[in-house]
This record gives sequence, C-alpha cells and structure tokens, in this order.
Amino acid sequence: MAGRMRMRAEGPRISVDNERCERFGLCEWEAPALFQLRRDGRLRYRRRAQPHEIEQAAAAARCCPMQAIALTGVTGR
Amino acid sequence: MSDGDRIVIVGAGVAGLRAAERLRELGFDGEVVLIGDEARRPYHRPTVSKQLVQGIARPGDVTLQSYVDLDVHWRLGTRATHLDTAQRVVHLPGGEELWYDGLVVATGVVPRHLPGSPRHDPRVRVLRTVEDAAAVRRALATSSKPAVVIGGGLIGNEFAASMRQMGRDVTLVGHARAPLYRFGPRVAESVTDLHRSHRAALAMRTEVRHWITTKDTFGLHLTNNQLVVASCVVLAIGSVPAVDWLRGSGLTLDDGVLCEPTLFAVGADDVVVAGDVARWPNLRFDDVPRRVEHWLNAVESGRAAAENLLAGRAGARPFTPLPRAWSSLYEVRLQMAGLPALADDTVPLADGITGFVRAGELVGVCGWDRPRAMLRWTAELERRLPAPEHTGTSVPAAGVPLVPDTVPETVP
Repeated sequence: MAGRMRMRAEGPRISVDNERCERFGLCEWEAPALFQLRRDGRLRYRRRAQPHEIEQAAAAARCCPMQAIALTGVTGR
Repeated sequence: MSDGDRIVIVGAGVAGLRAAERLRELGFDGEVVLIGDEARRPYHRPTVSKQLVQGIARPGDVTLQSYVDLDVHWRLGTRATHLDTAQRVVHLPGGEELWYDGLVVATGVVPRHLPGSPRHDPRVRVLRTVEDAAAVRRALATSSKPAVVIGGGLIGNEFAASMRQMGRDVTLVGHARAPLYRFGPRVAESVTDLHRSHRAALAMRTEVRHWITTKDTFGLHLTNNQLVVASCVVLAIGSVPAVDWLRGSGLTLDDGVLCEPTLFAVGADDVVVAGDVARWPNLRFDDVPRRVEHWLNAVESGRAAAENLLAGRAGARPFTPLPRAWSSLYEVRLQMAGLPALADDTVPLADGITGFVRAGELVGVCGWDRPRAMLRWTAELERRLPAPEHTGTSVPAAGVPLVPDTVPETVP
C-alpha cells in the first residue's frame, strides 16, 4: 500500500511504445515539459510526471497520432 | 446540468468518447449514455487506411484508452433514428425513446457514394471502419491483381501507400491535377514524386467512365481512355455529415449541424455538437461556420462541447482551436496546422514547410516530414492568429460545475 501511495504522490509513469511512435512531436506541443523531439529525430521524455503535470501528460497521450503513449498510475485519482 | 441528470451522447467515435471523458473529469455524476452504430468500443479510426488494412494491427490493438472512470451506459450497435428537441428525446430502433437533459451530437460523417459504382459488390469498398479494412483485406486475398483507389485526398493516398508497403500494385485515380492538391502545388509535387519512387501508379485529371465487372476482376474505363484492371476498388472521395437522423429536429442541417461559436446547436436547447459533423464559426479565424474533418479536432471539440454543455449556454466559451492534422505516407510524415483551405496563395517558409496565405495573412502551414520545424511554425501561427479574448461575463447558475482553471491550455 505504501508503494502505491508513493506512486500517486509522484504522479503517473509515462511510457512510449517505440514500435508505434512515429515522432510527429504532437506530445511536445501538448506537454513540452515532459516530451521533447530532439534534433537527431529521437523522442526524449520523462518517465514520471509530477502530480501537477498529470493534465499535460494525459493531453499528450490523448492527442498522440499513433496512440503510443501510456500512462500508469492515473486511474482512480 | 446537475446531479441526477442524464446526458446522451450520440456517436461512439473519438469525439463522443472524449466528450464522455471530459464530463467525468469535470465531476458530472449523472447518467451518461453513449450510443454508437458500430458494434465496438471507440477505436483509433486513422489506423483503418494504414495499419488495419495492411494487417500490421488487429482490431483489438486499436481500442482507444481513457484515463478516467467513464461509467457510461454503452448502447453499441444502435443507430439513433430521430431527435425530438421539444420533448428532449432520442428515438432508437424498435420504438425506444431515450430522454435526455443534455445531448452531445457526435455522429461524424459517412463516406460519399460514387454514382455508377457497384457498391453491392464485396470487392468495392469504402474505408471507414474496422469491418471495411477487413473486407478490403479479404478482397485482396482473392486475387493478386492490382488494387485501385478512387480519390486523391488523405485516405486515398494513405491507402495507395499501404498497398505498396504490402507489395501490392495500386493505381490512384483522381480528378484533381495531382494528389493532395488542396495542400498546394509543393505538397502535391512531393506526394507525386513519393508515389512514383514507390512505383504506385497515378491516374490524375480523370475519372471512371464506366465499370466492367467480371468474375475475377474489375475493368475501370477512365475518361482519359486508360483501362485499369483491379482486384478490388476502394472509394475514397470524401464524406458527408451523418445527419439523416436529425431531419425534422429543428436543427439547421446544411453541411453538418450549424452551431454557435460555443458548439451549442442553433435551434435547440442543451444540445452541443462535436467532431466532423459540427459546423461552427472558429472565431480565431473569422465568423464563418465551417466543419473540420480532422481527428484532433474531434478530440478537442469533444472536450469543449462537454465543458460547454456543463457550463450552460450563458457560461459557455467559444471553441477556438488551432486545427492540426497529420498523415503518414510511406516513411514521410505530413503535418498541417491552421486552415490551409482558406488560403488564396501558398509560400515556401522553410525547407519542407509551406505557408498558406489569405489576403497577406498566414492562415496555415504544412510540413513535409519536418516535425520539429512544424512545432516552431505552429507556435508562430498561434502567435499570429491568437484566440480572441473571451469576453463572456455570464456566470452559470449555482450548483453547475464551472470549467476549472486547470483546463490544459494549448501550450505555445
């Protein structure tokens, strides 16, 4: 239980499916603090969002053209 | 809307799903009924012309996820037949009447029919649903002859690329001078070169004169006198708003459902509209009502419609998005922002970036495999075309959830 509470306090985990991601960069538009399309074309992202960044992380996942972004630890908030 | 109320959402595509999700995010705890004519939960429709038709994704892979407990009553495989805005009732098959306190109309579009085409033949399909993709795959499996797609828009081009990526021969037939010509001559030229390099055939500035149907194949006799042989034919000549069920409801049905800037339907109370079917004036550009047939617009308008339905007409905010869209053709990412269709001219802005200009003002940008540059140019477009200040001063009645300040702003 303590583990789960700590996870909520730290915000959700972010994962990007590399097989699906085509690096359109729409996640960076929605959540520039969490996602960054690098000059070399690769996507860099933070694997854990802060609690105040949940809305942005969810927007990035929602708007991803490839639906490649998954958040865990959000439901039931 | 208040506790104990029922909100009915007609249309279980991405717009309907995101509307339901936003209602729950904002704390609406009444009943939500989600009606969809397809017999499956909302899925990622852009995959139909790409991953699903190629067989590299299965239907179960493309279900859309939600990050709130939706707690909706699903009425899938159910087509609304009529709307009575005076009685606030949605009519369903079998004489069922479903009352509502608030209604979200999100029925999207249906593919346009091509007069003269043998639509009763299983080898002639549109590409809208998971079932359409499966049917095209069945038709492809019965013959090694080429595929033909009629229509030079996004879906037609995506399907042609999908065929080449499967190693199938394909011909794209279109009446425009080049594929994707509505995105300007530079994009059209790039798409043309891309198809050529992948050996997809193009038959442009032409259309089907008549169809020759045989047991194994079709022959398409084109107006340029070319004869194209096909194992299956995909019709991708655009869509029409799915509004038949709304006839006689008092809503204004002239190319979709006419809406106020807030997505409230003109001519009814407590009815909002989202997605491809909504025709509303985006005050960021002007006061002309238009439809926007792009997936991201369905996401964003679904959320905005839900927010405004809860806020009530008096407290509603204009929906003023900067439209954005994308496509994948082979290995190339095509991206759009703004409203390129408004432009009277195009201008090269940077390598791979086309600007769309109306009366000297930038109204859209299009990127050819330049996602980083598109981020910068989309921000520039937003700077030049700011959303107008919302001057609404009305306060919703007590007990009605306000749209909270935590609504994510579009980040420049």
